[in-house]
Amino acid sequence: MSARIAVVLFPGTNSEDETLRLLRDCGGDAELVHWSRPAELRDFDAYVLPGGFAYEDRIRAGAIAAHDPAMDEVIAGAQRGKLVLGICNGAQILLEAGLVPGTAPARRPTAAFTHNGPIPHFVCRHVYVKLAIDPSRCAITRALSPAAIIPAWTANGEGRLAATPEHLDEIAGGGHLAFVYAHADGRVDARANPNESARGCAGLVNREGNVLALMPHPERDAWNFNHLDRPAGADPLTPSGGAELFRSFVAAVRA
Amino acid sequence: MVDQRSAPGVALRDDEVRRIRERLGREPSIVELHAFDAQWSEHCSYKSSRHHLKRLPTQGPDVVLGPGEDSGIVHLGEHGGRRYGVVVAHESHNHPSQVVPFEGAATGIGGIVRDVLCMGAEVIAVADPLRFGRVEHPESHQRYVARSAVDGIAAYGNAIGVPNLAGDAYFDEGFDDNCLVNVVALGIVAEDEIVHSFAPENAAGWDLLLVGKATDPSGFGGASFSSLSLDAADEQANKGAVQVPDPFLKNVLMRATYRVFAALRERGIVPGFKDLGAGGIMGCSAELAASGGYGADINLDEVNVAVEGMAPEVIAVGETQERLLWALPPDVTPAVVRIYNEEFTLPQVAFNARATIVGRITEEKKYVLRHRGRIVMDVDVDFLTGAIRDELPYQPAEGFAPAEAARPRADLGAEALPLLERVLAHRDVCSREPLYRRYDAVVRGATVIPRGYADAGVLAPVRGSRLGVALAVAGNPRCGRLDPRRAAELAVATAACRVAAVGARPAGLTDCLNFGNPRNPAQYGEFVAAVDGLARAAGELGLAFVSGNVSLYNESESGKAIPASAIVACIGTIGDVARTITPGFKRPGAPIFLLGNRAPERGGSAIAELLGIDDAVPAPSYAALRAELALLRRASEEGIVAACTAIAGGGALVAVAKTAFAAHRAGRRLGVTLDQPCGFHEAPGFVLEVADEARFAALARECGAEARRAGAVAEMPCIAAGGERREVDELMDCWSRPLEEIYP
Repeated sequence: MSARIAVVLFPGTNSEDETLRLLRDCGGDAELVHWSRPAELRDFDAYVLPGGFAYEDRIRAGAIAAHDPAMDEVIAGAQRGKLVLGICNGAQILLEAGLVPGTAPARRPTAAFTHNGPIPHFVCRHVYVKLAIDPSRCAITRALSPAAIIPAWTANGEGRLAATPEHLDEIAGGGHLAFVYAHADGRVDARANPNESARGCAGLVNREGNVLALMPHPERDAWNFNHLDRPAGADPLTPSGGAELFRSFVAAVRA
Repeated sequence: MVDQRSAPGVALRDDEVRRIRERLGREPSIVELHAFDAQWSEHCSYKSSRHHLKRLPTQGPDVVLGPGEDSGIVHLGEHGGRRYGVVVAHESHNHPSQVVPFEGAATGIGGIVRDVLCMGAEVIAVADPLRFGRVEHPESHQRYVARSAVDGIAAYGNAIGVPNLAGDAYFDEGFDDNCLVNVVALGIVAEDEIVHSFAPENAAGWDLLLVGKATDPSGFGGASFSSLSLDAADEQANKGAVQVPDPFLKNVLMRATYRVFAALRERGIVPGFKDLGAGGIMGCSAELAASGGYGADINLDEVNVAVEGMAPEVIAVGETQERLLWALPPDVTPAVVRIYNEEFTLPQVAFNARATIVGRITEEKKYVLRHRGRIVMDVDVDFLTGAIRDELPYQPAEGFAPAEAARPRADLGAEALPLLERVLAHRDVCSREPLYRRYDAVVRGATVIPRGYADAGVLAPVRGSRLGVALAVAGNPRCGRLDPRRAAELAVATAACRVAAVGARPAGLTDCLNFGNPRNPAQYGEFVAAVDGLARAAGELGLAFVSGNVSLYNESESGKAIPASAIVACIGTIGDVARTITPGFKRPGAPIFLLGNRAPERGGSAIAELLGIDDAVPAPSYAALRAELALLRRASEEGIVAACTAIAGGGALVAVAKTAFAAHRAGRRLGVTLDQPCGFHEAPGFVLEVADEARFAALARECGAEARRAGAVAEMPCIAAGGERREVDELMDCWSRPLEEIYP
């Protein structure tokens, strides 16, 4: 039986096209579900919240969408163990919904992806991320190699993880820090971090390992034709690079 | 300078008002005066430019749709048995951006995107050729304009989820009082699913369905505002003529419209669809009806408004953003209304936004507006929308030619390298990354080469297909100041070379002509000369203009016009994106070739400005260019071009340096050893790394192209020439930094 993935559309979402295409190209049975039909979400087995500017980023990025009726379904599903992947604005929504790091009740956010440093403007830049946890710690990353370097694009104005120092210790100590920014060769330093994100954080996972929030976009460097250093003769339409994470997600949804 | 005005806020001249009065046989109403004011403005009517623009080539085998509708269309290729086209539109939003740069530039993107959308296309890219004044002083209005316009473009394009694929920026005192914010948008459409900007056959009685933002008083008088010179005293009043952007609503409106396209195709309905731009509801509905051979009858009381009590002329011609107009068969309209208002919940997305029927298409070719039970406008629709013409006198523009003695022209050898750092740091040569990193380059996941990585951006726009589209822009204002005709020729040649440099075939052009006051014969002469230049270059290269725009009256209070600015975008097509030439040198030891029988003149170049050289603007050598483009195309099809950069701003040595920078950016720390003179002349040509030297030389002979081996890719990350040597890292630093102060 095929497990169904809903790509949840909010007013202001803008990355649904590449997200849906990549899920399908990685073998996922995925479809778009609209904010005007939240009840339909109940029948899906997993959720992907794509990037964009849901509700215009009013108040804070993700703050309004976290209270949309569609998120009632996503929160309920996550609490029952359904897999949830949020990318960029989707990651911001998961944080505002309190699903990651998930150390407090739902809709009681404890940290934020907030204005970039050092200068708070939108930055579009190619980056790499690597796992800061064992792949098996999160169902969505289980099929990745522990040494995987995932290419992606950061494209946001509010992507810097911020929380109190005590809570940052709790996030790191509790194994919530899923991905950190890295160089292509896997080195981790401040130059790899595009926005002064705390602990070099690019992605967070909840305690149960079924909800993953990732700020940069692996789905925008996910087919051979996206890579500037693609090998000659490679089929340009074959998923690769950032697609590794989506393959792992699809495999976990089917498991 | 504008003749005596006929009514408050109306820019019609006395002779134009007389003509209206005679035709109507009565005094025109206030609403009619405003309607003719908008329709007959330069912005809408092209009255003083249209007869010159006729000289531009607009037909060719790649042209699916030439100028005339909201956008033009270039043939891209076939996939899955269907033909696909690239929809292209190009506009200016100069005047609004000078007054309120954030909103002015943002609504520039908003408007151009609608022009592409209404052709039935998915919007796939935007580009932004920008011209700003001197930005050195932190507190200057010029710096404020340069920064805020970029922020406006970023805010709008990023929110709607359209990648910024190409663009450029020049900083020149000639734009101190008049910035240029030109915008280009691309869309993708199956050629059998094109939607037209006119009501189709048998459309009499069809509904006119207005969709989008609630009409408000913003943008009233925009068309005639942009057809006047900026006057500082009117600045406050002008601000009211600038529209208010709402990219959040547009994001939803675009997605809802894609859904409507699909629904109409399922039912086999061919609608009429048009963007509301200049002239608002009146201009859009009148043109939609008239170009299909119909009239229209509109009830302004049905328009969804943001505030009550607006005067009928404000509702009719105000230029509120984020609105579109459909002509639909009445039995289909309810389903379309449901998609906008219920599925995509427009009324909840923005105050009183919705789809609403405002009138109908009529058999009789009259244009009627009703308001509170009264007819407030009743005119012959063809008289309202028909071509009007102002044949203004002009003074032929001569290009600058220096005395023979003042021409030190030989390309530089050993003495070039010490100058390279200064040229790389020149404000018009240095990296634009601090500017464009604020733009989303990769949303939609279809990007093959992002903006700034090579001479042109490249996308794979058809899902599941290897077809590629490339986009580049050009137009050097320092050349424009010296020689409007040659500057226009170079803009065409350079834009074409830039798309060729990524392995694409130049397939179509679009232009935005930014000039001074057409009522000043010298300034108007520059416009006429530039049109000549565009026509010549496009004809020589076998390219057609599929769309374009004219922006006149770019002059300051003191009567000083901007440098002649014919800005050109070139669309290139790629049959298989696997054949795209990726940026940067690849293999140590590989030969580097210089391509081009290049003119020796240096007028308008960065080096001429740095060294204070007075010289003529180089004329492109078309026979040589055609041979080079043919060679590049054959060599890239055979896969033997490893890297390629077009020679433009900064000249050949800068092109070499940029190819090395691109390699460094991709993690290949390579250098170059040059054994031939390679300097700063900016006439068109190419720098190439070649994978098979013998085969390349043979192809060059077959194509009749002059290819000169200039050196080789080096293992050591240095540029070496004539015994001198510079570290690539250090050069890259000189090139990367200068704009960071403006765009931190």
